[in-house]
Amino acid sequence: MKFSDEMLMAYADGELDAGTRAEIEASMARDPEVARAVERHRAMSLRIRAGYESIAQEPVPDRLAALVAGTAAAPVVDMASKRAGRGSKTARWRVPPWAAVAASVVVAVVGVLLMRGTAAPYEEVDGVLVARGPLDEALTTELASRPSDAGVGIGVSFTDREGNFCRTFHLRQDTPVAGLACRSGAAWELRVLADAPVEDGEVRPAGAMPVPVLEAVDAAIDGEPLDAAAEAAARDAGWRKARNVAE
Amino acid sequence: MSTTTHDEDVRAQLAELLPRLRRFARVIARNVHDADDLVQVAVEKALTRAAQWRPGSRLDSWMFSIMKNAWIDEVRARGRRERVHAPEEAGLGVGDASAAARDIALSVQAAMARLPEEQRMAVALVLVEGLSYKDAAEALEIPVGTLTSRLARGREALQALLDPGGGSP
Repeated sequence: MKFSDEMLMAYADGELDAGTRAEIEASMARDPEVARAVERHRAMSLRIRAGYESIAQEPVPDRLAALVAGTAAAPVVDMASKRAGRGSKTARWRVPPWAAVAASVVVAVVGVLLMRGTAAPYEEVDGVLVARGPLDEALTTELASRPSDAGVGIGVSFTDREGNFCRTFHLRQDTPVAGLACRSGAAWELRVLADAPVEDGEVRPAGAMPVPVLEAVDAAIDGEPLDAAAEAAARDAGWRKARNVAE
Repeated sequence: MSTTTHDEDVRAQLAELLPRLRRFARVIARNVHDADDLVQVAVEKALTRAAQWRPGSRLDSWMFSIMKNAWIDEVRARGRRERVHAPEEAGLGVGDASAAARDIALSVQAAMARLPEEQRMAVALVLVEGLSYKDAAEALEIPVGTLTSRLARGREALQALLDPGGGSP
């Protein structure tokens, strides 16, 4: 059975029902061309997501935070007139009707403003994203853990169908993200990144992953996740490929 | 639930959403000032219509939909009297990222800027914001089939721009 590229895209995005997924997976196993097409879609998603990651880490401008919190007079925005008036100081101001509303949410917003981004946790090398800095360090050396001081938490570890070690992780930053990284040579390649919701100011336990990451794990995992002993053994062996899998 | 509680709930959730709303706005508007103005317009609209949002439904999809409409209104209001800004104009949102992350951001955002608006929005909602096809289609007020084909065409164009030679064999 031949699948359209649109179908393979929907598969890569986790949009298909279980029956169609299984058919595509069978086709991927038979035909490396199909598997490569799916991989291209996944890599492109990841790259586009990473290209906008830094924007979500920027501090939110005060005027927007105050508008949402209802604590400050917000300028009336008419985008055309604002554009015309930019550079001159012609913005009109009024007190919005919600100005009296409680300020409690400001605390949350200010908390976000105080945390600023650090070194990028990944870098593009020959079209793939690889872990860098504290993320690379944690994936290589840490066992399953809550987010560390460096902001990285390691979730489950497992081997994929090619025998590479893969690990899920949480990155605690302004907009927390979670992802899946797989060992490739001496580097950790990022397979997926997704927003990781925060509950009560805490990144969720490392085991609780956003759906896109869980789907990526499901698609990649061979058998069961590693137990603690196997995880430690794999780390001590430098995450070398567990076995060779015939093409 | 009292109105006050409902409004506070919307405000608290909006505060958490602001980084993502700014990100989506940057895909649409391509320049920081217009993008933040768009977020502001959308937040003002959302606050005046907060009663229309059903608790338990997705606030992000609702906000993206408001932003899409606010942007279309804005472009219409301008009557196309000016070309929507060149992406080079102060626009690229690379923030404080490291050099490596900046390279990725620059190439991706420059490629996105060359896509037609309808494809950019589809790519932004599904690939960047992680919405399902169904939620993205609802936010854009189009059928899922239309969303899927816009997404496929957008991805194809991005593949050609970002990975020339790496496409189909």
